[in-house]
Amino acid sequence: MPEFDVLVIGGGASGLRAAIAAKQAGASVALISKVHPLRTNTGVCQGGLNAPLGRDDSPESFAEDTLLAGDGLCDPFVVRTFTEEAAKDVLWIERVGAPFNRDPEGRLDRRALGSNRRNRSCYADDRTGHIVLQVLHEQFQREQIPSFEEWFATSLVVADGTCLGALALGHRSAKLDAFAARAVILATGGFTRVYHPSTASLGTTGDGQRLAYEAGASLMDMEMVQFHPTVFPGGPGLLITEAALSEGGQIIDSTGEPISSSTGIPRHELCMLTDSALRNGVGSVSVDLRPIGRERILERLPQTHELVRAVAGLDVTKDPVPVRPAAHRPMGGIETTALGATSLAGLFAAGECSCNGLNGAGRLAGNTLTEALVFGRRAGEAAATYAREATKPDVPEARVSDEDRRLGAVTGADSSDDSLGQVQSQLRRLMDEKVGLVRDAAGLEGAIGEIRNLKDRYSRIKVKNPSRTYNYELTTYLEVGSMLSVAEAVATAAQFRTESRGAHRRSDFPNRDDQVWGAHTLVKLVDGSPRLEKRPIAAGA
Amino acid sequence: MQVTFDVFRKDPEPEAKPWRSNYTVELPEEATVTDGLLKIRDEVDGTLGFRASCVRGYCGECLIRVGPRNRLACTARVSDFGANGPIALNPVRIVPVLKDLVFDWDAFMWNKIKAVKPWLEPKDADGETPVSDAQMKDVRKAMSCYYCGLCDEGCTALPEDFNFLGPAALTKASRFVSDPRDKNTPARLKILEQAKGIWDCVHCFEASEHCPRHIDPTERIVAMRDLAFKTGITNEKVARHHTSFAASVKESGWVDEGRLAVESEGLTNIPGLIRLLPTAIKATIRGKAPLPYMHPKRPGADRIKRIFEKGEQKTR
Repeated sequence: MPEFDVLVIGGGASGLRAAIAAKQAGASVALISKVHPLRTNTGVCQGGLNAPLGRDDSPESFAEDTLLAGDGLCDPFVVRTFTEEAAKDVLWIERVGAPFNRDPEGRLDRRALGSNRRNRSCYADDRTGHIVLQVLHEQFQREQIPSFEEWFATSLVVADGTCLGALALGHRSAKLDAFAARAVILATGGFTRVYHPSTASLGTTGDGQRLAYEAGASLMDMEMVQFHPTVFPGGPGLLITEAALSEGGQIIDSTGEPISSSTGIPRHELCMLTDSALRNGVGSVSVDLRPIGRERILERLPQTHELVRAVAGLDVTKDPVPVRPAAHRPMGGIETTALGATSLAGLFAAGECSCNGLNGAGRLAGNTLTEALVFGRRAGEAAATYAREATKPDVPEARVSDEDRRLGAVTGADSSDDSLGQVQSQLRRLMDEKVGLVRDAAGLEGAIGEIRNLKDRYSRIKVKNPSRTYNYELTTYLEVGSMLSVAEAVATAAQFRTESRGAHRRSDFPNRDDQVWGAHTLVKLVDGSPRLEKRPIAAGA
Repeated sequence: MQVTFDVFRKDPEPEAKPWRSNYTVELPEEATVTDGLLKIRDEVDGTLGFRASCVRGYCGECLIRVGPRNRLACTARVSDFGANGPIALNPVRIVPVLKDLVFDWDAFMWNKIKAVKPWLEPKDADGETPVSDAQMKDVRKAMSCYYCGLCDEGCTALPEDFNFLGPAALTKASRFVSDPRDKNTPARLKILEQAKGIWDCVHCFEASEHCPRHIDPTERIVAMRDLAFKTGITNEKVARHHTSFAASVKESGWVDEGRLAVESEGLTNIPGLIRLLPTAIKATIRGKAPLPYMHPKRPGADRIKRIFEKGEQKTR
């Protein structure tokens, strides 16, 4: 079986950054990813990535905005670490090849996204994620790191509270294999595919969260799911970047009146404004890019122009685009330290699948990619350091045959007329309706019951395709399992937190309650069921 | 609406015979081909193999042939195709199939991109690199490529020689060549000017025609050829061909084909020159190369020469 110091699972920005950092720290590294790295969800990011690059900005001012967006739930020392290191990492990605837009002096130009009170987001037109992802993949290839593409991680190997590696299925090789590793870094991305509509790609199904959760690690702040205020709801959901608002676009109602000043407001507040406008019967809410002007749209927002035409059939230079808030990115995820360590020895996590207290109850627009760079690097370095001291991982050969049997047991003839498609689409609608932007006790209780019902139905569904070659029915089956576990964790955490804060809005508890709820929520799997507890906010370290 | 798909199927074994499956599913009016494929796989037939990722036109993963044309399945609306009977779905033209609509992206594109050493070698510097936005804009344009493979699919050289690097990998290379922050450009040009690289492009401009993002791969390949010349990377036979071509037009106003053949092979390349002999003899017999071999100047040659000299002054 292949053996490495550090195994990274996930080929998006955090995973690539972690792999590069671990390799540069002297570790032997491999990366496995269920899709080719250039097809991961990082490419969906558009607007920019934040860094305080001096001039009129500072780490302190950046920290203030991050804390404000987090609505009292950030761990301040994690925020400080992040804002102090952000510039270094963003300058690194520039130096190794990101062709960010420049100001007339040839320096990095910056735009203000969302509630940033400074021009702080470096950007590459409106495809910042797509371009940063490519640069990371370039440097990843430069490091000659073995890359197992189209390999799906099915389980973690854990013995005595220590992670020893992972089991994964190769789509092309049709082979189930064990990857022994002194340290494993989960960088599998978010889970907002459990909602419909959402801004996420097909594979954003919470696989890493499920792997860690089932292995005994805690999930933190799972109720905190950020909705994006301006998503075209047709098809899978198409995000219109906040950069469109910074450039001069507006959010308007059906009479053409702006519903608010669209810039400088945290995402959750803008979502509530849009949502209440929709509920108050204004007919529709749209993003209107026409004030920007055709030439500037084509110059600064070329991808928005292209994708709105492809997905919505509209021309943003002429037509307002109907929008509603839709699930975008979770703040919650696998509980980690600022070095990416989880509660399991040898298991690390970084980026969107993790939760280290940076984002609290709301993520500042433009922090996603910077977070992937800063904490991807930190996790990679920490995992390499850990691996130097760790003993050689001893993965019993029998683990592979056991896993093979487990996957075999879910394969077979299925007489029911139920299907993965039905379970998935019902779950996604349910999450949007009952565990969406605004929640209440009755809805959440109903949702939790319905999720358990769906889990029950899921457990009776069989995978009918017996092959192992490009068997996407099998991997979809595993993904739907992840989605159900994660959805249950989100709904139970949302039920647990009886207040409103940041992205978590309870109509039955409309106020923020610092006395009782100035704390993180943790979800642990105990005897097959989620168990909730609180964790204090870590002020300093 | 009821939509019927007529789908190419093939098992993974190389010798397996392809067949076709017909599926009829109920889809909303605005559904895409990917929506249809997902519905088939999740509710009808789990053995169907196809790729999809971003499902909204960002990532390029789902390239297939929808009806007569190559399309990203996730932005192809079924209502645009379904009126005249079943929608035919096939893998793209020239690539080995791994299973059903899943084809070999590694062989098609990823391995070729790896071959151009696709990473920037940064210059040693601290802080941000000051550079004009005009230069970065061109790099951003090249990097708006989402690796959909349509340029390679449209390429007329690839069907003749699948080992040609192809416009997608060469466009990736051009992203570094035109980036002022890269210190590896000469080494990269050395890779690119080898066989299967920039000189194998037949500049038919199909790549530029096919690129959905108007990145213009053909112009980028031409620009890299020019740069290869300027940096003195002219050892390759084709580069000698270009030099000789330009020199004879400059001197006589038109191409001297005899000189072109000999100089392209290289004056010291005895085996190459011997290989030319049969062609030379045939040309002589057919009266195309009268003996003694002469290449007269054409009328107006002096004016043509002056055009060359003007151009040379400009580029100096």
